[in-house]
Amino acid sequence: MIDPLQDDSARDAPRQRYVLDETGFDEVPVKYRRFYRKWRGAEDSLAPNEVLCPVCRVVIRSTRDLRVGDRVYCMPCMSRLVVVEGEGGRLEAAVAY
Amino acid sequence: MSVSGDPHGADPQEFLDEVHSFEFWFQAVEGYLHGHPYGHQPQQTEPALDPAEREALITTLCNYCVGETAALEGASGMISFAPNRRHKIFLATQVADEARHVEVLVRRLTDLGVADPEQEIQRRANHRLLTFRNRLLKFVYSRDWEAALFAQNVILECMEFTVFQAHARRSDPVTSEILEGLIKDERRHVGFGENELGRQLKATPIKRAHLQHIRTELDPLILHSFEELSIDLGMPASQRPELGRAYLAAVGRLGFGA
Repeated sequence: MIDPLQDDSARDAPRQRYVLDETGFDEVPVKYRRFYRKWRGAEDSLAPNEVLCPVCRVVIRSTRDLRVGDRVYCMPCMSRLVVVEGEGGRLEAAVAY
Repeated sequence: MSVSGDPHGADPQEFLDEVHSFEFWFQAVEGYLHGHPYGHQPQQTEPALDPAEREALITTLCNYCVGETAALEGASGMISFAPNRRHKIFLATQVADEARHVEVLVRRLTDLGVADPEQEIQRRANHRLLTFRNRLLKFVYSRDWEAALFAQNVILECMEFTVFQAHARRSDPVTSEILEGLIKDERRHVGFGENELGRQLKATPIKRAHLQHIRTELDPLILHSFEELSIDLGMPASQRPELGRAYLAAVGRLGFGA
């Protein structure tokens, strides 16, 4: 099996776009709320356009699928994050001070 | 200037200007505090607690008041020596948050039938938390920005953030709703501390040794406080290490190993 993170064609492929709906998240001003949602714990799973903030455990959402090196912001805890490859190839967010 | 559209497309400076602003704070808290006088919906029914549960809850809330009052005094004192205007404004929003926390917790004690909350807080205060508070305020009085930020916005806020989450999951509906509101505020306080300190240490690594020394001094206090609070909350022994884990993860990300 080809690891999609190692595969140039996958890395260079056009990004999938996502329409973000409101999720009931209420901890940031209205105009930013759709970019975040609550983490529902162990039974929750992340979509390709989502990463979990390691500082405050809120799910950060993007309008496109996320890839290693992407920069995202967690507004609820004011963290600047970079998407990295975690264990098993799973995408994670690392704090960029 | 405010971030327009997709926040992830913002310039880092633009992002910080936005999230540290009073306007951002005001619009954020409006989302979850509107219609929640004293931290909960008025129609929320008061639970029937047995005497032992009520006693344990009062002790826990009294100690939350100790921590929140320390944060109120600490954050307000730090405004005068914060390194720039943006930090001063953020700390002013934190002061407002901490004042609200003290107020809603004291109100909760009153609702639980405590006649003199101030006296009860003094009587039930955990001595380790009081020692921690005194140490934090010494950092503030000596205008040591990094030490005060580390003690308050990393150590103390991290402890509160974690303990409130554990407590909210097992508490009565009124207390739980109050705590959920506090947790939302704590996200900002914890994030401000870790990110600001992370930037400071990146720019001036020489400050790391000073903070490592403070960590060594304060770790036993904070970890024992975690242990005692978890016992007050009735947490099973197997779940207690969870409380310290978020704090250890935060200091680990800042480069302070075990």
